[in-house]
Amino acid sequence: MRYVRTIFRTIVIVVIFGLFHYVLPQHDVARITGTEVIRMDFSSFNRFFFAQSDSGTQELATRDIRLINTKIKKTWFLGFFQRDTERVMVFRNEDTGWIWPPYFKFDSSDLQAEAEAEMSPPGQEKWVVLTHYGWRNRFFTIYPNAVGIRPIDSPDVTIVPWFNIFFFAFLVAAWFTIRAMWRQFRERTIDPALADAGEAWDAVEGQADAVTTRATGLWGRFRAWLNTWRSKK
Amino acid sequence: MALIRLVVIGFVILSVIYFALSIYSRSVRRERLEKDWAEENPGSTDMDARDAAVEAGMADYEKGLRPKLLILVYLIPTILVIAALVVTNTN
Repeated sequence: MRYVRTIFRTIVIVVIFGLFHYVLPQHDVARITGTEVIRMDFSSFNRFFFAQSDSGTQELATRDIRLINTKIKKTWFLGFFQRDTERVMVFRNEDTGWIWPPYFKFDSSDLQAEAEAEMSPPGQEKWVVLTHYGWRNRFFTIYPNAVGIRPIDSPDVTIVPWFNIFFFAFLVAAWFTIRAMWRQFRERTIDPALADAGEAWDAVEGQADAVTTRATGLWGRFRAWLNTWRSKK
Repeated sequence: MALIRLVVIGFVILSVIYFALSIYSRSVRRERLEKDWAEENPGSTDMDARDAAVEAGMADYEKGLRPKLLILVYLIPTILVIAALVVTNTN
């Protein structure tokens, strides 16, 4: 049983971590090397990792996807520690619209223009902080979605993930609120109901005892039987 | 259509939170009123007087500021959505 519980808990934790890692914004120090548009013929699997067509347009099975090609600074441990080395990274640039995840992004065309404005050749690099959510996976052909580009002077910047700090603070507060609500509900509603039920049960048992002690002897048993026909009070 | 869906689903979820919080807040206040009464009248078993005191306290509570603050459950997410819209879409 313990194994089952451990496995179950591990799965829950992994799924929650994965969900947050996918959906919450992350920041990369990047230099943009190019932009392009490719046609994407979604498979039933990788469709799940794309948003939808631009918010004013119609959704079809196949459409063009804007991509931003970059070189990003490598990091350790979820982006908390910068490294000096670089690697290539390709971002998609899609409207999330009013739908999940709730970035309310409608400006992918403008973002593409911004990315092109910040494009730089080797030797005269321009650096940007690129905010994204999502994952890059080469086997499934999925890309993280860029949601914001902010030009910076030098690649040595400290990025404070304010949104994530407030998000997790809110999550902790919500957890304690829900726990307090549940305890209040248990103390004021469930426990009194259980106590009432316990008292009612005690009363039934007491009556049964009284009936048994009364129903002794032939005459007593006959009276007791007669009593069972009486209306109960 | 997507906007309508967001508004409808958001309204339903926020309403659940709103009612849960208002029930909780009332319950906490009622408990405090009961305890206050028990402190002021130690050993008393006059349940009618206690109920009257608690009901009067609850009437004051309904008139007070706290139940009105719960409207923030609807207001804050709306403000956050508008803020997200502005932050994401301006450059």
